[in-house]
Amino acid sequence: MVEFPELFQVPLAEWVDAVMSWVLTNWGAAFDAVGDVILFALLRVEWLLLWLPWVVVVVGVGVVAWRAMRRWVAGLLMAGFLVLIGSFGHWDLAMMTLAIIFAAVMISLAIGIPTGIVMARSNSVEAIIRPVLDAMQTMPSFVYLIPALMLFGLGKVPAVFATIIYAVPPVIRLTNVGIRQVPSSVVEAARAFGSSSRQILFEVQLPLAVPSIMVGINQTTMMALAMVVIASMIGAKGLGMEVLLAINRIQIGKGFEAGLCIVLLAILIDRVTHALAARQEYAVTS
Amino acid sequence: MQNNTPTPNGGVCVEVRELWKVFGANAEQLLRSDRRSATKESILEETGCVVALRDLSFEVQRGEFFVIMGLSGSGKSTLIRCVLRLVEPTAGRILINGEDVCAYDEAQLMELRRHTTSMVFQQFGLFPHRSVLDNVAYGLKVRGVEKEERYARAREVIGKVGLREWESYPPSALSGGMQQRVGIARALATEPEILLMDEPFSGLDPLIRRQMQDELVELQAEVQKTIVFVTHDLHEALKLGGRIAIMRDGEIIQIGTPEEVITAPGDAYVREFVQDASPAKVLTAGTIMEQPNVLLYEWQGPKAALHILKTTGLDNVFLVARRGRLLGLVTVDRLAELIKKKGTSVKQALEPDMLTCTTDMIVEDLFPLAASTTYPIAVVDDKGKFVGEIHISTVLSTMIQKKEEEQEEREEKEEKEAMKADG
Repeated sequence: MVEFPELFQVPLAEWVDAVMSWVLTNWGAAFDAVGDVILFALLRVEWLLLWLPWVVVVVGVGVVAWRAMRRWVAGLLMAGFLVLIGSFGHWDLAMMTLAIIFAAVMISLAIGIPTGIVMARSNSVEAIIRPVLDAMQTMPSFVYLIPALMLFGLGKVPAVFATIIYAVPPVIRLTNVGIRQVPSSVVEAARAFGSSSRQILFEVQLPLAVPSIMVGINQTTMMALAMVVIASMIGAKGLGMEVLLAINRIQIGKGFEAGLCIVLLAILIDRVTHALAARQEYAVTS
Repeated sequence: MQNNTPTPNGGVCVEVRELWKVFGANAEQLLRSDRRSATKESILEETGCVVALRDLSFEVQRGEFFVIMGLSGSGKSTLIRCVLRLVEPTAGRILINGEDVCAYDEAQLMELRRHTTSMVFQQFGLFPHRSVLDNVAYGLKVRGVEKEERYARAREVIGKVGLREWESYPPSALSGGMQQRVGIARALATEPEILLMDEPFSGLDPLIRRQMQDELVELQAEVQKTIVFVTHDLHEALKLGGRIAIMRDGEIIQIGTPEEVITAPGDAYVREFVQDASPAKVLTAGTIMEQPNVLLYEWQGPKAALHILKTTGLDNVFLVARRGRLLGLVTVDRLAELIKKKGTSVKQALEPDMLTCTTDMIVEDLFPLAASTTYPIAVVDDKGKFVGEIHISTVLSTMIQKKEEEQEEREEKEEKEAMKADG
């Protein structure tokens, strides 16, 4: 009775392999189509970011940061971060990384917000989705990096796909929470005046959930950024790839440079989206 | 507009028939069995079901101010929500204008809530992300009214509740009383036939509450809606209600006019309730006023007036115009002075500090007036006609009665506490 009996072994690994190869043979075309769509969107964003003169990007980010945080010093600082990244010679890589993050976040929101809404409106749906989200967040990302590779091939698309899996849970959770914490007295009032459930959602629940959803967007963006190094392992060019190469070649200085660029990007994105989220709390539509 | 459509059963606007609301699994099964007649406690123990409303039947007439009064947990809020099916009744029928609301599908229900009814909530239920204007216009918006039209209508109602300068502010910028005005304005904006009010003034402090009650009475006189008003405050019920339904444990114990409830309480429970109502809070100026021995008319000369006062031994007398319209109070001193100055009209001898009140003023509200004057208070009707006078001593006597009652209450409490301490 010391060893676990062999009789009870569950060959889960074999099952997963079987499912995987079945999906690959039968659904390969579908995944290729999805991959093409992701790649199309991603390349457009990347092309735009690389095409824009760096001065435009720096000034644009500075102005957005200044408007969002309402302090011109903040705008200047954020613009300074970008200049610093450029001065390290990593401008193009940073733009590629931004493009991946941007594409992954946009797709995450497109999936996450509607999922959060559905989750908020039904307790049973919430009970099903919640453990799935837990699994998505705790599963080591390498585990789904390889299947993503097999489904979409090497490059940017599986990187975006893996990033979405890692980054989508916060926006789903916070959309759900935001809608659920709308005071029931307010929802009841809307109901008492004859609102349809669509009207309750769009007139009352979603507007009141916006601050929470904005926090979700902020978190999703940060998680997407946290994936860049890992995503570079399956061939996504960008700052993450630079870090990876530096580690492999034991170039400490180079690795630090690229790592610092990621940190600067992270601070930049976090502060701006955070400020936008905080502003929503005071916003009143007139 | 549905507002003026005649109804099949004439004067009845809302009719509730054998209404039950039971919370819990198997509620419907419970109602089909004869266990339904068991007490609330034994049903809860046996089945885990909570009986919130038990076999209620009543009617509300068109234009009536119907008050549902009960303590917390009596089911009054559940009842008012059942009328709109914000809470689904378990059994029974609710007829609004003769149509069974319980048989409505979702679309019909929305139609009812959009056009026929409006509701005001204890916690206001305002939309925090919208301006006062958008809050008030909400009912019209869900109905699909164009922007300009609904804003025009909303502004009109906002003006009526006296919040014109506040229309662009969010509700959080307003005080509790003002927020509830927004709630009332939002309810009136859709021009509903029936107004449902769930303890609208309970969250407000007493001074604001009384003011809002007065305004609601005025408003009702103007708009003549059918109002179903829920409260736990007996004085509020007595003040506002055309008829009052008193609830306890999900049942209606008594339905009657305020006078009926006060003078003939349905059972011991109601009697106990009503006992707390001090006369000063229930009695109105109209009931305690007296008819003066003499009145002065504007066409009488100063000398004649002085003669009348001297022969009757009075210091002052009310002066009225044709058709009994009150002009003011004339005192002996001022009359004598006027005659000295050779004045010709008694109107020149009016005392400026005269106080007036209306017949429906609650005696309690007269206390501050009585404290500030030595002359009698004139009672006038809403057209300004003199109908009687109230002497300070009369007001004071009801106050003393009140004090005595409070004293008794205090003693009773002390006794109880003493007994508790002993036991």
